[in-house]
Amino acid sequence: MKKKLLSAALVGAMVASLAGATTVMAEEKTEITWWAFPTYTQENADDAVGTWEQKIIDAFEAEHPDITVKLETIDFQSGPEKITTAIEAGTMADVLFDAPGRIITYGKAGKLAPLDDMFTDEFVKDVNNDALLSACKAGETPYMYPISSAPFYMAFNKAMLEDAGVLDKVKDGWTTDDFVEVLKALKDKGYNPGSFFCNGQGGDQGPRAFFTNLYSSSITDEGVTKYTTDDENSVKAMELIKSLIDEGCLMNGSQFDGSADIQNFANGQTSFTILWSPAQPGTQAALLESSGVDYVEVPFPSDDGVPALEYLVNGFCVFDNGDDAKIEASKEFIRFMCDDEEWGPKDVIRTGSFPVRTSFGDLYEDERMETLGSWTKYYSPYYNTIDGFAEMRTLWFPMCQAVSNGDTEPKEALTEFTEKANETITKTAK
Amino acid sequence: MKKKTNKIRMRETLVSYCFLAPVLIFFVVFVLAPMVMGFITSFFNYTMTDFEFVGLDNYVRMFQDEVFLKSLRNTLIIVVGSVPIVVIFALYVASQTYERSAFTRSFFRCVFFLPVVTGTVAVTVVWKWIYDPLSGILNYTLKMTNVIDQNISWLGDKRYALVAIIAILLTTAIGQPIILYIAAMGNIDKSLVEAARVDGATEFQVFWKIKWPSLLPTTLYIVVITTINSFQCFSLIQLLTNGGPNYSTTTIMYYLYEKAFKLSEYGYANTMGVFLAALIGLISFAQFKLLGNDVEY
Amino acid sequence: MRKKKITPFQVFTMIILSLLTIFFIFPFYWIMTGAFKSQADAIKIPPQWWPESPTLENFQKLLVQNPAGSWMLNSILIALITMLLVCITSALAGYVLAKKRFYGQAILFSIFIGAMALPKQVILVPLVRIISFMGIHDTLAAVILPLIGWPFGVFLMKQFSENIPTELLESAKIDGCNELKIFTSIAFPIVKPGFAALAIFTFINTWNDYFMQLVMLSSREKLTISLGVATLQAEMATNYGLIMAGAALAAVPIVTVFLVFQKFFTQGITMGAVKG
Repeated sequence: MKKKLLSAALVGAMVASLAGATTVMAEEKTEITWWAFPTYTQENADDAVGTWEQKIIDAFEAEHPDITVKLETIDFQSGPEKITTAIEAGTMADVLFDAPGRIITYGKAGKLAPLDDMFTDEFVKDVNNDALLSACKAGETPYMYPISSAPFYMAFNKAMLEDAGVLDKVKDGWTTDDFVEVLKALKDKGYNPGSFFCNGQGGDQGPRAFFTNLYSSSITDEGVTKYTTDDENSVKAMELIKSLIDEGCLMNGSQFDGSADIQNFANGQTSFTILWSPAQPGTQAALLESSGVDYVEVPFPSDDGVPALEYLVNGFCVFDNGDDAKIEASKEFIRFMCDDEEWGPKDVIRTGSFPVRTSFGDLYEDERMETLGSWTKYYSPYYNTIDGFAEMRTLWFPMCQAVSNGDTEPKEALTEFTEKANETITKTAK
Repeated sequence: MKKKTNKIRMRETLVSYCFLAPVLIFFVVFVLAPMVMGFITSFFNYTMTDFEFVGLDNYVRMFQDEVFLKSLRNTLIIVVGSVPIVVIFALYVASQTYERSAFTRSFFRCVFFLPVVTGTVAVTVVWKWIYDPLSGILNYTLKMTNVIDQNISWLGDKRYALVAIIAILLTTAIGQPIILYIAAMGNIDKSLVEAARVDGATEFQVFWKIKWPSLLPTTLYIVVITTINSFQCFSLIQLLTNGGPNYSTTTIMYYLYEKAFKLSEYGYANTMGVFLAALIGLISFAQFKLLGNDVEY
Repeated sequence: MRKKKITPFQVFTMIILSLLTIFFIFPFYWIMTGAFKSQADAIKIPPQWWPESPTLENFQKLLVQNPAGSWMLNSILIALITMLLVCITSALAGYVLAKKRFYGQAILFSIFIGAMALPKQVILVPLVRIISFMGIHDTLAAVILPLIGWPFGVFLMKQFSENIPTELLESAKIDGCNELKIFTSIAFPIVKPGFAALAIFTFINTWNDYFMQLVMLSSREKLTISLGVATLQAEMATNYGLIMAGAALAAVPIVTVFLVFQKFFTQGITMGAVKG
């Protein structure tokens, strides 16, 4: 409280003069603010960011005239910083649409309203997936209300594969050796490779999942209690990545984050990307259309041909801004978006992912989504809610950059990274 | 008698503070107060969840923090790399243009000031495109002229990243010094220069004995502002590299920002802020002392 | 008179200056032409040195799909209001610092000078707290108010005020003018050129002050054009045509202001450097 007092004393004079301007608003309507990352795919390639979001708000407001929702769209690069600043400044939105990685961090810091009352028996039974539900909780307290989930995997440029004569190699069940062969074939044809991107937070799950699959290692242990990225197989995988970069089969990705890499791919500039998801064709529709790129979707290659896929969970959290009416209104809004008979399924479709509620059934009814849906059998343990996750990520990028640039040997880099990453667990858990 | 001067002085003081009040209010609330608060909280473990006094812990941690030391090194490289180049280069351009027609002077002033007024963000994004490994014009041009045969990732390769950043920084840092030098050279006593030339002095002697001494105050000013600006290098890093690859472009400013706004370690960020302010103050002071000795004013 | 003869050094200088001119002008040229290239054309290799099929699509997208209109308006408002407030407060303060003798003068002036060297970023975190405590985070005021206390303007106006003849002030005082009257009718007309210089200077600096805007603004429609371009760059990393169109919007007004008021601007910069 000291800091408050300090600032209070110092700005007292100013506040007095501004007091006139900040009179309390009439409290008939509850106004809530919703911050959304660009996770939804818009209905038309030309629709501006936030078009779909506004549409669902309009539908909600029509049903709940006592609540108004204000939409703010944020981007993956500066968005996380904006949230931190806003939390510190006390101007955070009420509802945030994101994934557990960040949400659970905010929850652990005590900034979120618990959502116990939304995790009804009916909901838990309908979802029927313990791993997924526990990804939405910090300890026993649920902070995120999930709506949909989807695996991450990779994609290739179909025409380039055909040209290199390796299209038949790229399929579910392929191995790391197949993968290396494909990359070499593509390189020989002179195509720019995709990158092992590691510039920033956007989509950094992709490279991690790619890395663990190569030799079936894992980021954390089974129980998600510590990082295991320094074992023999991890080192082998990182060494392979390094040699692929040196041979020009994989691009040094120090300069790119996930969205840049994906866009390079969708533009037709690179032959593959190690981050793709069911929603991407929708998100990148404009690029894919203008470049005429046709894509092949495939799980990450692994030494035994059995991939372990990471998945994203989309969901909502409610910030505790000290106003119960706003918290209630926010929950109502979330229920509408996720559970409404008409809008729930529609909303899931716009996330381009699979509903967490089993009762929604198969929403897509097309072959592609059916195949992708079947990959849920490859899901690996969800570690993004581990203590210190945010700090681990800031260590991950420099480590990958060091290896890609040849600053540090893979073994050494991984040992150091794992040690530091494990420190973040103990430090944050304290 | 004394009493009367005092009275006048008191009255003057009162009037003066009335005139100063508007600026002072803003200065105290938005500059001085945060300065004091920043200093105080640098002794606290101050995060999204904690606020406790920890004495000098943050300062100790700072000097043991490898990343901080790297960022300090990078910041110093940027300063040491850019300041001499800016001074020499601005001096050169100004000396080659100030004696020409008003139109030529004005033309070069505009050319070198263009990146400054174009704005940091606009300049940065266009350079990002120029540097783009796949669709950038730099790689294309170098490949066409056979300087390189493989695309270079200018901002992703640690051999080039910092240099690439400094190159952009230079284009935005040089406009003001050139204007200053052109103005200062216009003030040099022409008859002295002519007299020296008549006496058979070489151009170098004319420059060194006559022009340089009168340019010293301007040089001092340029050195100080360029130093301060280079220490604050931030937006280029934030927009282009996020401090990578492997911290090779992390500056103190960027690291401070990352700690404060990505990881909510406010206390620690403030510690770095205090350190940076002290460092800049010290270096500016030293520059005044070193160069200022020769300045006859 | 020296003989006009072209020395190798002069040839060298000509070459160097031409190369530098290209180096400094090219980015601006690339922004202006890039703004009219479609996404596909912008990333084409070999690059199009001139847009082969120029399109207004980027500007359309900026104004229709993104609130670039509001971004421009915000930038203009912020720059104008800051300019006005800085000029007035600095003129008042600079005048008394130059022309009055009062208690605390020396100390106050050194504090101002000291603060000028202080990097803004250093006080950032506490500043955000103060701003949010006042309840103005994410408003234009959050960007404007902190800039007014910045003492560069005071310093500049003090330099200009030194030129006011003290006798003029004395005689006005004997004639019974009050202090404010003396300032407006005698001091101000003399420092007017300085006022103009400071105005241009502040306008350009505020327009380009990315950092303060980045921390203080967050809602999409409250962004400035600089922030807006940075956001586009994050969202659509490789849509260079669109990003350049944004950059052009951000750059053109300010480049125009500079070209038109070049004289005052140069004066402002130069005056700031001359020792008092």
